Amino acid sequence: MTGDSRSAREGLVRRQAVGEPMVRARGLRVRYGSREVLRGLDLDVYREETLVILGPSGCGKSTLLRQLEALERPTSGSVTIGGVDVLKASRRELEKVRRMMGVSFQSAAMFNSMTVGDNVALPLREHTDLADSTIRLMTRMKLQQVGLSGVEDLYPAQLSGGMRKRASLARALALDPEILFFDEPSAGLDPIIGAGIDQLILRLKEVFRMTMIIVTHEMQSAFLIADRMCMLDRGRILAVGTAEQIRKHPHPRVQQFLQRIPDPFDEGSSSYITGFSG
Amino acid sequence: MSFLEAVGRHATRQVEYVGGLSIQFWQSLRFALRINPFSGRRLRWTRVTAQMAEIGVRSLPVLCLVAGATGMIMALQSGAELRKFGAMEAVINLVGTSMTRELGPLIAAIVVIGRSGSAISAEVATMVVTEEVDALRAMALDPLDFVLAPKYVAMLVMMPCLTVAGVFSGILAGGVFAYFSLGMTLLMYFRRTAAILLLRDIVSGLVKAVVFGSIIVHVGCLEGFRVRGGPEEVGRATTDAVVKSIFLVILADLICTAFFYFFWR
Repeated sequence: MTGDSRSAREGLVRRQAVGEPMVRARGLRVRYGSREVLRGLDLDVYREETLVILGPSGCGKSTLLRQLEALERPTSGSVTIGGVDVLKASRRELEKVRRMMGVSFQSAAMFNSMTVGDNVALPLREHTDLADSTIRLMTRMKLQQVGLSGVEDLYPAQLSGGMRKRASLARALALDPEILFFDEPSAGLDPIIGAGIDQLILRLKEVFRMTMIIVTHEMQSAFLIADRMCMLDRGRILAVGTAEQIRKHPHPRVQQFLQRIPDPFDEGSSSYITGFSG
Repeated sequence: MSFLEAVGRHATRQVEYVGGLSIQFWQSLRFALRINPFSGRRLRWTRVTAQMAEIGVRSLPVLCLVAGATGMIMALQSGAELRKFGAMEAVINLVGTSMTRELGPLIAAIVVIGRSGSAISAEVATMVVTEEVDALRAMALDPLDFVLAPKYVAMLVMMPCLTVAGVFSGILAGGVFAYFSLGMTLLMYFRRTAAILLLRDIVSGLVKAVVFGSIIVHVGCLEGFRVRGGPEEVGRATTDAVVKSIFLVILADLICTAFFYFFWR
């Protein structure tokens, strides 16, 4: 790691008093045209905790994650990461903040023109002055950490969906981030591979004590990995709490989501389907 | 929507587009200037050489063919008219100057737009759709630095080279015409062509090549970066990049030609 990024990390650690949020969102509003996706959210994510963001499809989970990752600017409100307000931060400050983050995207977002090894090595090549041999060694180690060995010379297209997610995680871990973001880590994977990803997240949490923010709608996975959960619905936070608090939460919409109760069937679509079945 | 509203909205969109293009140009210029083979990030230069092969080397055969055919067509067409006045030798002047000043850079630009401009916008748009651009930003890497700058440097180097190759092919085709119609040897033909070409002709051709190359890269990348939505948007971005590049290249050609006409006679 370069001296620059190490001193930035130390600065961050000094700024972060115990119990102070690592990521903080205040009054977060996001509007796309006339559609308001997030309607004034307040959220704190504390050091070393794993926060799972839950909610029905289209409720704004991925939009919230993109805001917390500082990939988009909100319509109003603020996001603070490691004590730095990302909306007011200079280009250099924002770069330092981003070097402390690792992001694993829903689609894995591997660069298809590069080998898996080059993908994982990319942040090391760009942000450190390490020798090529050291980078190759670290790349192998990162891939081993996520249970992938001997795939350095393969291209992402030659990997299965689960392997691509793991490789993307290895790339996110390349610079030993303080905060790790996951968007739907087990989406599109079979239950066995999904369970493997959950185990991997638990191991990272135990060994590296990272702050993790995970978006998912896989309930089993969420209850297994979360320290706290945040349930979103129609751009608002319905409930925040531990797994037990969420399970017992009195809000009917939370219970509907947990117990997989469908919304009342609307008459229009009902008659449409009946028309087909005769 | 009233007619005036529609015109206003369209004009605003065009101004916004040109503004976006200018901002992208200035922001990427500092990244492009930092790229060199002797210092900085090795990965950048590797990407530049890969792009040079893609933009330059692979475009060369088709460019030489198109420019050669154009040179021959021009010699045949002008020869047919000039024969009436007994001025067949003026074909050499016509082919030489028009290929060097105008057609060489323009044909190179059209070939590069078709081969590389469309490929650039498709590549960048796919990167946006598959979240690769977001992944770069999340890794504290500027997409203009990582994606655009290597393409830009490669284009700035290769477009003048392609233009020279195109001009040479066109003039050579004129030489074949001169050999059969005027009984002139190729050596005599090239000596004659070299004698009539001015420094201004060569400089204006090379300046146009650099300007056209900048337009192709920046329009291709901007169309790619502007993509929102799914994979179906990639095709739209590619078509838009080709159409806008051709329009802007011809507009820039007019401006450059007028500039050299008035300021360097």
